[in-house]
Amino acid sequence: MSLAAEAFVSQIAAAEPWPENATLYQPLREDQILLSDCASSLAVQAYLRMCNLPVQVSCRPNAEYMSPSGKVPFVHVGNQVVSELGPIVQFTKAKGHSLSDGLDDVQRAEMKAYMELVNNMLLTAELYIQWCDDNTAAEISRPRYSSPYSWPLNHILAYQKQWEVRRKMTAIGWAGKNLEQVYEDVSQCCQALSQRLGTQPYFFNKQPTELDALVFGHLFTILTTRLTSDELSEKVKSYSNLLAFCRRIEQSYFEDSQAGSTSRGFSKGPSLI
Amino acid sequence: MAAPMELYCWKGDWGLPSVDTDCLTVLAYAKFAGAPLKVHKITNPWRSPTGVLPALKSVEISSGSVSRPSNIIIHLRKQKYNADYDLSAKEGADTLAFVSLLEEKLLPALIYAQWLDSKNYVDVTRRWYAENIPFPLNFLLPNRIHTQQLERLRLVRGDSTLEPGEQLEKELYHDAQECMTLLSQRLGSQKFFFGDSPSSLDAHVFGHLAPLLKIKLPNGKLRQHLDSLDNLRQYCTNILLLYFPADGREPPSHKVAPHSDGSDFDVEPHKRRNQILSVLFALGSMLGYAILTGIVSVHHVQAQAALAEPHRTDEEDEEEE
Repeated sequence: MSLAAEAFVSQIAAAEPWPENATLYQPLREDQILLSDCASSLAVQAYLRMCNLPVQVSCRPNAEYMSPSGKVPFVHVGNQVVSELGPIVQFTKAKGHSLSDGLDDVQRAEMKAYMELVNNMLLTAELYIQWCDDNTAAEISRPRYSSPYSWPLNHILAYQKQWEVRRKMTAIGWAGKNLEQVYEDVSQCCQALSQRLGTQPYFFNKQPTELDALVFGHLFTILTTRLTSDELSEKVKSYSNLLAFCRRIEQSYFEDSQAGSTSRGFSKGPSLI
Repeated sequence: MAAPMELYCWKGDWGLPSVDTDCLTVLAYAKFAGAPLKVHKITNPWRSPTGVLPALKSVEISSGSVSRPSNIIIHLRKQKYNADYDLSAKEGADTLAFVSLLEEKLLPALIYAQWLDSKNYVDVTRRWYAENIPFPLNFLLPNRIHTQQLERLRLVRGDSTLEPGEQLEKELYHDAQECMTLLSQRLGSQKFFFGDSPSSLDAHVFGHLAPLLKIKLPNGKLRQHLDSLDNLRQYCTNILLLYFPADGREPPSHKVAPHSDGSDFDVEPHKRRNQILSVLFALGSMLGYAILTGIVSVHHVQAQAALAEPHRTDEEDEEEE
């Protein structure tokens, strides 16, 4: 969101309380959604639950095109549409709900830094594995991404998306990496997260913050999605405190009526092997 | 070590050991870790062993050389030059996180300020690269880098119609200013980020902030924000003084062109002289061509002959008649 639009939206947002009919849009859960989008969507859902803000999840095949920034998920609140975790956090802050108010300056700096770490390494690794690894792209990503569309649109859209992601990887310097190096990066990232978490229940001791929501979204999705190989989830599983962390958040925030469908949907996942 | 490792990097200017962020990061890390490197400061990326700068050439590398700061630092660590040796596990994790923060929030704004902002690009960046890269690359390379950076920004933000403009600048600078404030808060009043001895995070932060501090850009909003953060400014100057004393001279004034009147005065005499010289050259070549083809010379000879012996023609006329 541009700066002027942000300021404008914040002003409008502050005026109204959170409505009951807020909706979160994402691609179709069973057939279409991919690992990276699922992770982002789960992160936003976890964050909203941690803030105690009700939201309904609605699955649409064209969610990506509906979104104002082209990325999913996005929430429709009142008469505003906000996409991606960063802007959504600021939007809820303007409405008076925030999880990171109790942090001091140094902790806030660390929180932002770790969120960037997840975005920089984990999300990029997920995108790489989905679109730049030929096996996964051919067996899982392309068929799933284009499943709502008929021939020939499905081929065109899938290859277009793949080409765009590969160009992005080249631009940021990941094109020269092979799969092993990417798994190694994921492992390093998880190691950093694990060391930061230590034995605490959440990253900043007693209270969850947006960092916890983001980490949960990504790790839980990685653990419960089946890809062509299990190596990614194995990398995460080797850190027991991260596993306990995911389980804890799942039990605290997703154990109500929605939880059953959440975990069922994720654990089914893409299972073409 | 049989043969020392060789590092190829961009030349320095404005009091910096190198003008490029990645090169500065690697140079700083090598100094911090005490790695003996033979540094080649070049201005032609094609002469580097991998085709990009910075590049580290060493006999221990299987392919001969590596590029990219992260790979170079990994290789130096393998050779036991490790500036992060004393860091705890948590500090190592923090390093990774803050480096990601730098790359996601600060680097796009730095690239915009140097390469995509039109005034900065034309007045400072393109001029420096065009003056310092050897012929004929100096015509191709700056423009190519400019296009590449714009493309990269478009891909990373997912918007293929992005144009450099005020709105984009505001967004990027806002993120960068927030990032710098966060770094300043994390640094506090310490000498380096993790205590008294520098680590790889210090190398990365230095590599990103030092060009911002030293290179004088006409559109200097980011620089103003950095100036307001005293501890970061002090931190960069400190590292320059301690680890790069030889490069820390102030640049000669004719290279710096921050204010328009200064640059006019500096450039004017050369411009005038060049104009006069080129006019003289043009006149001289025209005359030479005329003489060689015989236009002017014939007239001259005839005129001279006519002048020298006017009486002879008169006599001839008289004789003829």
